Amino acid sequence: MNTLQLTVLLAGLAVLFFWLGRWRARQLARVQGGFKHLHSRPDYYGLVAALWVGLPSLLVLVIWWMLEDRVIAQIVLAALPEAMAPASAAQQELVLTRLRLINSGALLVPDGVHWQQATEQFRVLTERSQYGRQALVLALAVIAGALSWWRIRPAQAARTQIERLLHGFILLCTSLAVLTTAVIVLSVLFESLTFFQAVSPWTFLFGTQWSPQMAIRVEQIGASGAFGAVPLFVGTLMVAGIALVVAIPVGLMSAIYLSEYARPGVRDVLKPLLEVLAGIPTVVYGFFAALTMGPLVRDLFAGIGFDGVSPQSALAVGLVMGVMIIPVISSLSDDVIRAVPLSLRDASEGLGATRGETIRHVVLPAALPGIMGGILLATSRAIGETMIVLMAAGLAAHLTLNPLEAVTTVTVQIATLLIGDQAFDSPKTLAAFALGLLLFVTTLVLNLIALIIVRRYREQYD
Amino acid sequence: MVFLRRAEPPQSSSALAAASATQSSSGFLPGALVDRPRLSARDISVYYADVQAITNVSMDVAQHEILALIGPSGCGKTTLLRTFNRMNDSVRGCRVTGNVIFDGEPIYRKGVDPVALRARMGIVFQKPNPFPKSIYDNVAYGPRLHGLVDRQAELDEVVEASLQRTGLWNEVKDRLHKPALSLSGGQQQRLCIARTIAIAPEIILMDEPCSALDPIATARIESLMRELARNHSIIIVTHNMQQAARVSDRTAYFHEGHLIEIGTTDQIFTTPEQSLTEDYITGRYG
Repeated sequence: MNTLQLTVLLAGLAVLFFWLGRWRARQLARVQGGFKHLHSRPDYYGLVAALWVGLPSLLVLVIWWMLEDRVIAQIVLAALPEAMAPASAAQQELVLTRLRLINSGALLVPDGVHWQQATEQFRVLTERSQYGRQALVLALAVIAGALSWWRIRPAQAARTQIERLLHGFILLCTSLAVLTTAVIVLSVLFESLTFFQAVSPWTFLFGTQWSPQMAIRVEQIGASGAFGAVPLFVGTLMVAGIALVVAIPVGLMSAIYLSEYARPGVRDVLKPLLEVLAGIPTVVYGFFAALTMGPLVRDLFAGIGFDGVSPQSALAVGLVMGVMIIPVISSLSDDVIRAVPLSLRDASEGLGATRGETIRHVVLPAALPGIMGGILLATSRAIGETMIVLMAAGLAAHLTLNPLEAVTTVTVQIATLLIGDQAFDSPKTLAAFALGLLLFVTTLVLNLIALIIVRRYREQYD
Repeated sequence: MVFLRRAEPPQSSSALAAASATQSSSGFLPGALVDRPRLSARDISVYYADVQAITNVSMDVAQHEILALIGPSGCGKTTLLRTFNRMNDSVRGCRVTGNVIFDGEPIYRKGVDPVALRARMGIVFQKPNPFPKSIYDNVAYGPRLHGLVDRQAELDEVVEASLQRTGLWNEVKDRLHKPALSLSGGQQQRLCIARTIAIAPEIILMDEPCSALDPIATARIESLMRELARNHSIIIVTHNMQQAARVSDRTAYFHEGHLIEIGTTDQIFTTPEQSLTEDYITGRYG
């Protein structure tokens, strides 16, 4: 019986005990004269019994499963004769891997009495562990279930117990999300630290040269590698800035139109249409930027006398990205604007304010925190956007403030750095993590700034 | 006296018919008209989509009087109040026939700017609804909007005067720039009244201004209303009959969108002519 079968069996036991527990609660109620004599509804008693069957045994199963391998390994290693004893941790790992493979039948047993002994011991231990685990888990499930079934009393606060468990469960889910974030940050942080051993943080943060070409072979020439991130950040901020210049006014105005002026029928059609923009894959935006917007911008500016406009310009990319993030701003802002209470609008209009004055002086200030939230989300998307830039703005990292030239961004460089044939511990690859860390810190700082702005200008209406 | 609400109006249709009969004989209810009215409703009917909320109401409001509109819930008092300053314009599906004459001019006519109209007719709502701004900015909102003052010092004066008149000045003068929502419910409502009188309206409309307040706050607002009536005409919708009896000069009783009876408050509360009015004010119905 493997772990999957064991789990299914446990689930079956839990269902069984649910019915038993419910049945017993009903019996108790009948004796006393009706459900009203029970503390909770019969289902709750059944649920408590089922959880007692499932949770402790699952916990034991998981713990056993996590420890099993290590314990067996220790025993087998300790029993190895002097001649075979591994000298280093790496060798130890090698021996264990071979034993595992032999046990699963992927390798034949090598010659030599020591190997045969070790293999046999490994097999026996694994088998015993499996039986022991099954016996323990099933026994625990049945005993815990039976005990909780037997202890069912009309006064038992079953629904409170379930409530407490639910509380714990949702807490677990929340901490899982937070924990994941922490793990991601830490992993990026550690890789970055390795990178900063090769390249000084000062050079990375303030260097104006970016050419991450490392020599693959020692004698290779012309590839020294320069890791100054400034051009990338200037490029990122420029593209994101252009995108926001497009998206904030257009998004906000659409939100105001949708929430304040559009008739319900019009709104019901327009809002989903606007949100379709958010559903277009960024690759599609990418070739729109590369094939349509880029040449258009070049022709337009060439027409009014600008020389040397690149068809892969920051401006074209920024414009397309701006269109992409319009729905993020408009949809969120529309919701928060509509949440501003009618009584505030009435108050303003009752004082003789026009619709526009009311929106400007009362509705928008009250909705500001939500609007800022939308803008922030849009900013994060703009900064994190990779595909459009990759397709339409090129890879050349030169430091420029001219939006008509080709630029590259942090995310694009991360993507290209990791698609290479470099060893994983070369500075070129590790630079990706440092860039990621910097990006993370940047968005964090942006979030903090926005939070402070919102705190200062917040107008709470509740 | 305790006023109990009952779901079903007793024999209302026949009483309603009797009431309508009184009206149709003269065109106006006795007591509906006054000399030199400040505001006159003429044959006002209001519809929400297909539902008629107000039926052919005609009445006058005199200079510097307090007129109370009373009646059971859903009788159209608030709708009528909001008809006076065209607040119903922004309500979808709302249609008004007849007209309201303000200062000799009909307000339901092409070319009348409801925004300008509302600046001359302040409104105070049932629930205190200060803006989520500072106390000062709440009162200064109207004057700033309409450019009533040129200098900061003048604005300060207007704010202080408005707060003085609502009796709020001494309570808030040290924290004018604190959020208005930090005030108590009664203070908030007085702030809303101060905000309204800061634009010097000629008429103040009040929609159950005390219904969310405790008796002490209510008493303050009632004495404030008497004070304000020296310079303004006030129309107040109220569910509180003692309040109507205490503060108003004239009282109008509404029933299912019809104006049933109107007259001096004394007369309405002591010798009502209509059985519907009598039932309501004695607590048999309403």
